[in-house]
Amino acid sequence: MPEIEGSPGSSMHGVTGRESVMAFSVASPMVHTDRTAKFALPVDSEHKATVFKLFSFANPHMRTFHLSWISFFTTFISTFAAAPLVPIIRDNLNLTKSDIGNAGVASVSGSIFSRLVMGAVCDLLGPRYGCAFLIMLSAPTVFCMSFVSDASGYIAVRFMIGFSLATFVSCQYWMSTMFNSKIIGLVNGTAAGWGNMGGGATQLLMPVLFEIIKKAGATPFTAWRIAFFIPGWFNVIMGILVLTLGQDLPDGNLGTLQKKGDVAKDKFSKVLWYAVTNYRTWIFVLLYGYSMGVELTIDNVIAEYFYDRFDLKLHLAGIIAACFGMANLLARPFGGFTSDYMAKRFGMRGRLWNLWLLQTAGGLFCLCLGLVDSLTLAITFMMLFSVGAQAACGATFGIIPFISRRSLGIISGMTGAGGNFGSGLTQLIFFANASFSTEKGLTYMGIMIMIVTIPVSFVHFPQWGSMFFPPSQDIVKGSEEHYYVSEWTDEEKQKGMHQASLKFAENSRSERGGKVASAPTPPQNTPNRV
Amino acid sequence: MEVPAGFLVVYLLFSCFVASSYGVYFSSLNETIIVTATPTQGQVLKAGEDQITVTWRFNQTYRAGTDSAYKTVKVKLCYAPISQKDRSWRKTVDLLKKDKTCPHKIVARPDTASNNSFTWSIERDIPSGVYFVRAFAFNAQDEQVAYGQTTNAHKSTNLFEIQAITGRHVSLDIASICFSAFSIVSLAGFFYMEKRKAKASQQK
Repeated sequence: MPEIEGSPGSSMHGVTGRESVMAFSVASPMVHTDRTAKFALPVDSEHKATVFKLFSFANPHMRTFHLSWISFFTTFISTFAAAPLVPIIRDNLNLTKSDIGNAGVASVSGSIFSRLVMGAVCDLLGPRYGCAFLIMLSAPTVFCMSFVSDASGYIAVRFMIGFSLATFVSCQYWMSTMFNSKIIGLVNGTAAGWGNMGGGATQLLMPVLFEIIKKAGATPFTAWRIAFFIPGWFNVIMGILVLTLGQDLPDGNLGTLQKKGDVAKDKFSKVLWYAVTNYRTWIFVLLYGYSMGVELTIDNVIAEYFYDRFDLKLHLAGIIAACFGMANLLARPFGGFTSDYMAKRFGMRGRLWNLWLLQTAGGLFCLCLGLVDSLTLAITFMMLFSVGAQAACGATFGIIPFISRRSLGIISGMTGAGGNFGSGLTQLIFFANASFSTEKGLTYMGIMIMIVTIPVSFVHFPQWGSMFFPPSQDIVKGSEEHYYVSEWTDEEKQKGMHQASLKFAENSRSERGGKVASAPTPPQNTPNRV
Repeated sequence: MEVPAGFLVVYLLFSCFVASSYGVYFSSLNETIIVTATPTQGQVLKAGEDQITVTWRFNQTYRAGTDSAYKTVKVKLCYAPISQKDRSWRKTVDLLKKDKTCPHKIVARPDTASNNSFTWSIERDIPSGVYFVRAFAFNAQDEQVAYGQTTNAHKSTNLFEIQAITGRHVSLDIASICFSAFSIVSLAGFFYMEKRKAKASQQK
């Protein structure tokens, strides 16, 4: 679990692309560049890279980035591999609509728990083993598809494969050990978005594999089973690459991770308490379920929808479905970008309005998607919906770092779990029911998205205001320091544990808006080592 | 951002409700063809192994000359209501071009006056379910003009069952076990080797 800043895993402050483009490199004099270290990239005193060179594979920093996001991408491929093949699988296994819906729910439910556990695993074994263990142990579950012969087997296997989505946590954690906190937001956001693209890529990949295997002579009911071997092999290959090419820290592997330095560790129970008692946490847990959650739901249902409603061939339905997930390449960073842009003029209020607009627009387009009869219109609304929902994901993590400084890691984790929970819930309510059609389900889901996004107007920061109310005029209560330091008791303040929060509060004043200069990433500098 | 999108949406919604409701409706067709098939009520057949022999002819009780318009006859395998339950992708819809009741083609033949028959080997991609056989007569414009089926109007009599292949193979199962074992063993191997190396370097 993340502790004080600087220790691996603590600087999870932005799992988003919210950082402005200027964040590609750290030029601040406050970050001490270690010139004695022999790395391909400039590094700070902890040997974390201060520059993000996208197309480099230099060991260890950029290599880690690529190993990390590709592993996450691979698990998305495996988790959603069944979705574009459902028209074949449902005939082979004699599935009913509720079976298909329940399998979709199962595929996203497992990772609610595995994501929460993965944080602890990364602390104990390091992110390299955390990632490798997960993807290599979930490879057998993917291969298990060849044994499945009925609905219950299908649901069980999809549930087990779904555990692998916890690589999200190892991915973000691993990168915070490799990259300086000033650029970690962009790095983590790029990795998250590109990993999510796997949900789109699989819609393209699996039908193509299926067609090729069928052409090679297999009957459909065998061909889909063979097709599942490919995601399974991806898992194994990535696991081996991670083990052989990866390392936990810039300087080496696990041994050094045990040395925590002289900064006191925070208590898990306290960190959890401040996360859970902050009402804003729960609003964002709910909201993320209807941006990320509906994205996962659509990954599961959209190919089958286009196949059935518009009588398309399997691979064509797959191509259209893929476009939804692949939009993540740009849509999620876009949401972060608009969040930063609004914050420059309007501060936190701008960020909140930005999130509400994007997510509500997504809901509106989802509603339209279910209503239209023509293929071109359906594709158009689907793409608009994808941009709305995915940009909302990016915008959500533009706000999360400001909810709490002390409990940032847990809040990020809870929000992520909320995304999966929302996905399970929407699939259960709208797509596992035989009593209404998929198009009605899409329309109702769109309405629910718009309703569920309304609570963002209740998020109020005393120092910055909310969507409808201005900040508090009180000198004390309306200061950033008061908000962030209120998470520490007097005892803890006496020990000086709140210093990082004070620094954060000072730098977060940019969220008042109205400034011309670029809103800086709240700097989480390498700790003041005494 | 929202307002122009709103107008666009309303306009597009309007235009897309120009329903594409052209086409032939099943309820407009007469059952002028008599169709029989070899499976008896409740018989269970195996996909990939068994065969169905279908015979069809024009019902002479109808006015002679009605069938002069029939150019082709397409015989299809259709789902009985029980196999359509909870499976909206097999729904029966009156507008024939949207109807999903009969997706599996058995044979298509030009229409001849004499007794027609065809023996069909049940293909290996037919799913498990309860079925009946229906034949459509098409005119020169390739529109349905008449039909016949082996069951009654309520689709409750003379239904037979087909059991699909599992799609599983022993070779697939074995390959799956081998690759899974490889994955687990190589992970354990790496872990063990690295722990040993760490211990060895610590002891130095």
